[in-house]
Amino acid sequence: MPDNYYEEEEFQTRFNQKTFRRILGLAKPHLKWVIGFLVTIALVAAMDAVSTFLSKHIIDDGIVAKNPQALTNLLIAYGSIVLIQAGNVFLFIYLAGILGERIRYDLRKKMFNHLQALSLNYYSKTPVGWIMARVTSDSERVADLVTWGFVDSTWGVMSIGTSMVFMFIINWKLALIVLGILPILLYIAIQFRKRILGEYRNVRKLNSKIVGAYNENITGVRIIKALGREKENLGEFKELTGSMYKSSYRAAWLSALFLPTVQIISAFAVGAVVWFGGYQAESGQMTIGGIQAFVSYITFMMWPIQDIARVFAEMQQAIASAERMFSLIDSKPQIENRPQAIDPGTISGDIIFDHVTFKYEEDEQPVLQDFSLHVKRGETIALVGPTGGGKSTIVNLLCRFYEPNEGRIFIGGRDYTSLSLQAIQSRIGVVLQTPHLFSGSVRENLRYGRLNATDAEIEEATRVVGAHDFITRFEKGFDTEVGEGGNLLSVGQKQLLSLARAVLAKPEVFVMDEATSSVDTLTEALIQRGMETLLNKCTSFVIAHRLSTIKKANRILVIEGGRIAEIGAHAELLKVRGKYYQLYTRQFRHQLETELNIFQETPANTAAAD
Amino acid sequence: MKTSLSSTDIDLQKTISKNRLAGIWRMMQGFRLKYAGAVTSLGIAAAAKMLTYLLLRFFVDSYFVTETRTVALPLLALGFLGLALAEGGFTFLSGVLSSQTAEGITRRLRNFLYDHIQHLSFTYHSKMQTGELIERSTSDVDALRRFFSDQAISVGRIILLFLINFIALLNLNVKLALVSVIVVPFVLVVSIILFKNVSKAYEAYQEQEAILSTTLQENLAGVRVVKAFSRQDYEMAKFEKDNWEKFIRGKKLLIMHSLFWPLSDILCGAQLLVGYMVGALMAINGTISVGTYLAYAGMVIYIIYPLRNLGRIIVQTSTGLVSYARVMDIIKEAREPLDEGDHLPTANIVGKLGFKKVKFEYEPNDQTLEDITFDVKPGQVIALLGSTGSGKSTLVNLLPRFFEYTGGKILLDGVDLNRYPRKYLRQQIGIVEQEPFLFSRSIRENITYGVGRQVSDDEVETAARAAAIHDVILSFKEGYKTLVGERGVTLSGGQKQRVTIARTILKNPRILILDDSTSSVDTETEAEIREALQNLMKDRTTFIIAHRLQSITEADLILVMDKGKIIQRGKHEELVSQPGVYQQIFNIQTRIEVELEKELANAG
Repeated sequence: MPDNYYEEEEFQTRFNQKTFRRILGLAKPHLKWVIGFLVTIALVAAMDAVSTFLSKHIIDDGIVAKNPQALTNLLIAYGSIVLIQAGNVFLFIYLAGILGERIRYDLRKKMFNHLQALSLNYYSKTPVGWIMARVTSDSERVADLVTWGFVDSTWGVMSIGTSMVFMFIINWKLALIVLGILPILLYIAIQFRKRILGEYRNVRKLNSKIVGAYNENITGVRIIKALGREKENLGEFKELTGSMYKSSYRAAWLSALFLPTVQIISAFAVGAVVWFGGYQAESGQMTIGGIQAFVSYITFMMWPIQDIARVFAEMQQAIASAERMFSLIDSKPQIENRPQAIDPGTISGDIIFDHVTFKYEEDEQPVLQDFSLHVKRGETIALVGPTGGGKSTIVNLLCRFYEPNEGRIFIGGRDYTSLSLQAIQSRIGVVLQTPHLFSGSVRENLRYGRLNATDAEIEEATRVVGAHDFITRFEKGFDTEVGEGGNLLSVGQKQLLSLARAVLAKPEVFVMDEATSSVDTLTEALIQRGMETLLNKCTSFVIAHRLSTIKKANRILVIEGGRIAEIGAHAELLKVRGKYYQLYTRQFRHQLETELNIFQETPANTAAAD
Repeated sequence: MKTSLSSTDIDLQKTISKNRLAGIWRMMQGFRLKYAGAVTSLGIAAAAKMLTYLLLRFFVDSYFVTETRTVALPLLALGFLGLALAEGGFTFLSGVLSSQTAEGITRRLRNFLYDHIQHLSFTYHSKMQTGELIERSTSDVDALRRFFSDQAISVGRIILLFLINFIALLNLNVKLALVSVIVVPFVLVVSIILFKNVSKAYEAYQEQEAILSTTLQENLAGVRVVKAFSRQDYEMAKFEKDNWEKFIRGKKLLIMHSLFWPLSDILCGAQLLVGYMVGALMAINGTISVGTYLAYAGMVIYIIYPLRNLGRIIVQTSTGLVSYARVMDIIKEAREPLDEGDHLPTANIVGKLGFKKVKFEYEPNDQTLEDITFDVKPGQVIALLGSTGSGKSTLVNLLPRFFEYTGGKILLDGVDLNRYPRKYLRQQIGIVEQEPFLFSRSIRENITYGVGRQVSDDEVETAARAAAIHDVILSFKEGYKTLVGERGVTLSGGQKQRVTIARTILKNPRILILDDSTSSVDTETEAEIREALQNLMKDRTTFIIAHRLQSITEADLILVMDKGKIIQRGKHEELVSQPGVYQQIFNIQTRIEVELEKELANAG
């Protein structure tokens, strides 16, 4: 929860025709369904008006005329309308509802699939919470507009329309009065709706602040207690709940006022009908049934009006949602296959960085400057140096998560932009600093390395990295669930699994960002062994923290300020007594302290941070 | 806005009752009159609606049937308007009163819960999951709010509408009234059964939504892994599976709705038809007047249709009750009293400590600490050494009374620790945690957090300088006003730690508890933190949970702990010469230096 906590900003945009057309376009593939529910909902609205009209005749032709036969006929007609209505209601709920689900499904799918194509630069710029909100809530809102929004507005317009028609049939003068009041009603209803929506937006904003406050209060409870800050905290929180009270109350107040206002305005129409209708009754121009029908039409009319107002107010929100959603769908992947990209079947060979310069953002200083390096096939390169020096960038470029701004990178003799992304990435085994696992079983996570791996191969891979023992010690063995993000496993176990996963992928190039968090000695030894198998088989790049890894590397690069500060083998560099020497001696003490576990610590559980 | 502030603070712990409804009733203390007013207003509004139909009856009968026309038309029109005003006005009033009740109770509950949570004991927090607590404090509280603002009031509205109109119908014609409610039990039963299923289907739908979110979230969080293994297709297939399942579950839910509404429409329609038939025949016979028929035709709708919703609301109400129980589970936990204790010095403590055969067990017979005895002079540095679970963290947690020792005695400045109020103790003790925690507010606010007084900019800067973080802060565009966290800058582990050190310097405690860990820190910043800590420890009684040798060699007393007991004690020089754990550790350390020399010699 604390990690995913993301305060969503809500915004509204002016009506945008282009976006609106694009939203309509979402329904296009399902045109038959749309027509289906629009026709049935229109029928529902019309039939409602008809049944009120029938009630008029029941009174005038049946009761007042004292004609039981006519009454029976009319009631039969009324009954059939009830049945037809039921059928129509079923149809429009079914059609619009399922279409809504379908469009949601389509949108989520479209966004998710597009997200898979987007490059890392998109992800580094965009918070996960923002993306999640697009896929989950925006898709709902837009689908709702296309289905229920259409249903409600069509129903609203149709029922008002047909009611008006029947009113004109019954008495056109009175109908004119009602027609005069209609725009006022609509205007007021829309104003109300907009303000109510605005208030609810405030409520939601405050609500997410309250969630945030609880979150901090609970996760930081130790500090709060230690600093004795309970009273001030409560004071601050009370301000928050006070604003929340005001906003919610305002929203409720407006909502409570809305319907009565509409009702009272319609009551003017009813009053007018009674007044004029009464006079006309004296001249016989108005029947009892007519009065009854008018009263029914007018009192009922507040519902379609309030629906139209709601759709109208919410439309702006839905359009804002759609714009954000479309911005996700429209964003172009920064790194794409070139038109003639090939998959040569292997990428084994030398790796050359040729005067590579790179920056993450246009207006930034380059993170990597004029970087050149020739790595022979099978070589192991250790990258060391301070955080932010450019080590990760080298690895990111190699994996082609990013491409150089200047200069070129050759893999196996080819400029790597002439290869397909799939060709490169499927042959590079990557182990990240913080191992990421997916919910599912141990086996499923391992198979991620190679989808067609047999169970025997999977077990073999775990043996290679020494993960086999701890897995089989689980009650369910390879079928043990690892939990969300792997949080049921320890850090060391996750590292071992991510190594095994890389082994299973049989990479030709191996890239590893060594974890800094310490694990117990045994696990550490296992990880070492697993790494070695990979290092021996592949051309390797390791962002190294462990002495053994560093020492074993064919060449060590000290990267600082986007350049190579020192380069050479371990012994050579030590002799220089330069940056590497300092780094190494400090690391040596630090690591041996941990390795020998002189303070007998079990490593801090950083699982929560993953 | 009229919210009597006096009613916003009651001890909700006292409202707990085994019977949930009774508990909810007690929780409404201070709002009961308002809520009663809301219900009464609803009743009046319903009566006004009913009277509208009676007025229609009078109007029709006197103008069309008997043509007596005793009342002038404009007056009648005014009557309709007046009734509408009454109906609208009281509906509005009811909405206002019920929302005041619901929002007022919720605000009180939120405040109480928030305060309650920060007063619950460490033991409670360590066994309760964060997510669960947040869920209960937010979603469940909101469910309870809806119970007051919508559900309870809707039940009231439907019942009142039914009763008032039914009584009016009985007055018009008993036979007609009785004929009109045949279908009522059926509608009720059908809607309750259906909505029970709907809520099940809805839960399944929500569940799938959660699964889908997790899949999406994991994919986004693991985007590097996905790309590194180029598993985009696999991910799409996985998402497709979950996405499709959600579609299917949504469809199931929809089919239920699409069946319920038309079916209940038919039931209600049939009832109306029967009622109209009987009523119309009576009107033809002259048993009732045409006006009466019209009034009947209007009122009968309010007897039948609202009942369809009753099932839905009753089912929802039951979830509100479940939420009530979940919230009360937290509230019934006992608070840790902050002011309890009879010894409250006006000055600061000196920092002299005596542990005498101190014992602590989380649960009976699970001895976490045993026979802890040692003395500390003011200003001394005590280093605690031992493996995880050896009891060193528990030991220091006894000092601020996060935990209460269960045996022996701890004397602070010669007075039993239990006699000091927790609040006072915690003011006197500063803690620097292993994993620094910052709040999502400005850096300045984080540094002054918990100081409890106005602090000048000079003071803040001095503290920041001593913590070696001042220059870093100035390098941010907004300096001390820079926000920390998602909306602001992300600080590195070492920077966070130095901010918390500055915080502690400003607090100026007499006793310091330090978790001397730099595991999350770059080797480059280690030296700076070291210096900051040195500044902090000056003139304070300090407990260090040691992770490094430097902090130990300078300590006045080293306690080596194992399984809740002190197994070795003394100064560095003494312990080094004794055989034992400490010597082993030290030897390893010496060996490291030797090995390093060897290493370098080999290489060079």
